[in-house]
Amino acid sequence: MDFTWTPEEQAFRQRLKDFLASTLPEEWERFSQHGPASPDLTRYAETFCGKLAEEHLLTPHWPVDLGGQGLDPWHQTILAEEMWIAGEPRGGQYMNVNWIGPTLIKYGTEAQKARYLPPIAEGRALWCQGFSEPGAGSDLASLRTRAVLEGDHYRVSGQKIWTSYAGLADTCFLLCRTSEDRKRGISILLVPMDTPGITVRQIPSLIGEGDIHEVFFDDMLVPREALFGEEGQAWEIIAYSLVNERLGIPRYSLARAALDRAVAILRAEGRWRGEAVRIEAAHAAALCEAARTASYAIVTRRAAGERIGPESSSARFATVMAERRVAEFVVEYLPEALADAHPYLKMHHQRGIVAGIAAGAAEIQLNIIASDVLGLPREPR
Amino acid sequence: MDLSLTSDQIAILDALEALTRPFASVVLHETGFALTDPALDRALAEGGFLDVGFDPDLGIGTAAIVVERLARLPQATAAATTAILRPALGLEAPGPVCLVEADAPHRPLPFLAPGATVVVLGDQVTSFTAEAVQVRPEPEALYGYPVASLLALPEGRTIHALTPTACRTHWQVALAAEAAGLLAAALGSACAHVSERRQFGRALATFQALRHRLAEAQVRTNGVYWLALQAAHTLDPADAALAAFHAQESARLVVYDLHQCMGAMGMTLEHPLHLWTYRLKLLVSALGGRGAQALAAADALWG
Repeated sequence: MDFTWTPEEQAFRQRLKDFLASTLPEEWERFSQHGPASPDLTRYAETFCGKLAEEHLLTPHWPVDLGGQGLDPWHQTILAEEMWIAGEPRGGQYMNVNWIGPTLIKYGTEAQKARYLPPIAEGRALWCQGFSEPGAGSDLASLRTRAVLEGDHYRVSGQKIWTSYAGLADTCFLLCRTSEDRKRGISILLVPMDTPGITVRQIPSLIGEGDIHEVFFDDMLVPREALFGEEGQAWEIIAYSLVNERLGIPRYSLARAALDRAVAILRAEGRWRGEAVRIEAAHAAALCEAARTASYAIVTRRAAGERIGPESSSARFATVMAERRVAEFVVEYLPEALADAHPYLKMHHQRGIVAGIAAGAAEIQLNIIASDVLGLPREPR
Repeated sequence: MDLSLTSDQIAILDALEALTRPFASVVLHETGFALTDPALDRALAEGGFLDVGFDPDLGIGTAAIVVERLARLPQATAAATTAILRPALGLEAPGPVCLVEADAPHRPLPFLAPGATVVVLGDQVTSFTAEAVQVRPEPEALYGYPVASLLALPEGRTIHALTPTACRTHWQVALAAEAAGLLAAALGSACAHVSERRQFGRALATFQALRHRLAEAQVRTNGVYWLALQAAHTLDPADAALAAFHAQESARLVVYDLHQCMGAMGMTLEHPLHLWTYRLKLLVSALGGRGAQALAAADALWG
């Protein structure tokens, strides 16, 4: 058991810090308040990810023959931590390299890999995930968007909601119902967002501009080759994807950085006095560290080639606890941060509040822990 | 970074598992508040399990792993303070080590008895061997350890080279590692009960009101475990204070929830849950409690 970084891992982290310091614009912290899916940040992310790709830092954990460096999951973790601490200048492209790409690599046809992986590896692709529907949020298996095979095409009708990045995405990872079987009747289509029949409407949100959308599919025709995996294989595939997504965002790192920043401001302004503020700050730090070490325990197993299962939900919930505590600390002791006095803390607040919802609600994580980690009998349904 | 157990640690845990298996499976029925077994203490001493911290290749990190595993047993042992403080202090004498803060000498001390080594944390780290006149057993105490009160701190104590900061760090590691094992065992005990006990025609464990509280307890238990092991490996004062804080805060929350999940059965001495939770209740007060750990962490992290 070793809780230290190797010299090589430290050098990799330093290389990332140096890259960020030399690449991000001077006004980055204020600029980063634009939501990760905003037009401004999406445009900037394309430039930034292009530079990352040139430095072989966009997909270092991918296989060498697919544009990566074949580095281990620890490098993926270090990369993700440094990007999140910086306010995620990759914008929505973080999702590509975390789980869209790895899922394409594992389940895609050669044609799909050839079409979709190069743009991701070069930093010029933006995806959205067409999962939730008005009647299917946490109860995802209730989704009703229907895809009917007609000759060489699927005809798709339905609606998605709370879809991140849909406004500017070029491709949608779309879940559709192809038969009545609750879970085995769901399939995945890879759909270009300029396909006729798609309408996107933005929903104003607490997270920031351009982040949440409704997406309507009206008799959209999608070629049969857009089917990803087999018909009915979606549940298996998204289970794989969501493990990557839950681990892929090291929110604890941004939460801890925001906490350190908040304490530094309080100290500089002579407000780091009295026991209450110090106790609350340490409480938040403990939750950040608990989330970080719980996540590292899982990365250890992944680095050893083990399959990751429900324990990722435990690390995910630990991260939600940390995010919440840090956000509450800032609101209580630095309320002016949300009034724009401290852009970095405001940015953290907006990124952090979604932690308990995105990639599966926190309560769904608790259900998974109860059944599959603790082994409790399931609820009747 | 690699959080997997080493081959040595796996071998030690395998041997510990074999040694403790008969003790883990004893019949637990009306055990009283505390359960001890001299045969277990002897077996652990003979097996050298509480001495792993003296081996520089194993260190306090491995000692903490042993402590966590032993704390899962229904029998209380002095493993935590003994396995983690004795190497730090260089104490060769076998037997339990009791820890007391110089400004809080009246806190009940687990395993305090004549002959025990009492380590006093003050402006410097000192120790003495307890004598009968200094010890008042507390047989009616509501704790899951045999406890006694220290009647006085004698003059002329042995002075140790270990700094107060290092002593506090090791104590926090011991506390967190033991709490991690106690939480794991208590959670397992409560989960077994709610999976079997039926009300309204269903197992209690199928009610979401209980499932979510137990799942949160799992998340906390996991966090306490990893923070304890991180602190044991780094021996960094900030890591240790955060680990001890998280252990005490989690113990406070989880102990209440687990007894609630058990209903009236959790109020009885027939069920063994208290053997773990009423050890946690004493750990919650160690080193000034969670507020003091939080302040220590804040000082270590940010000054």
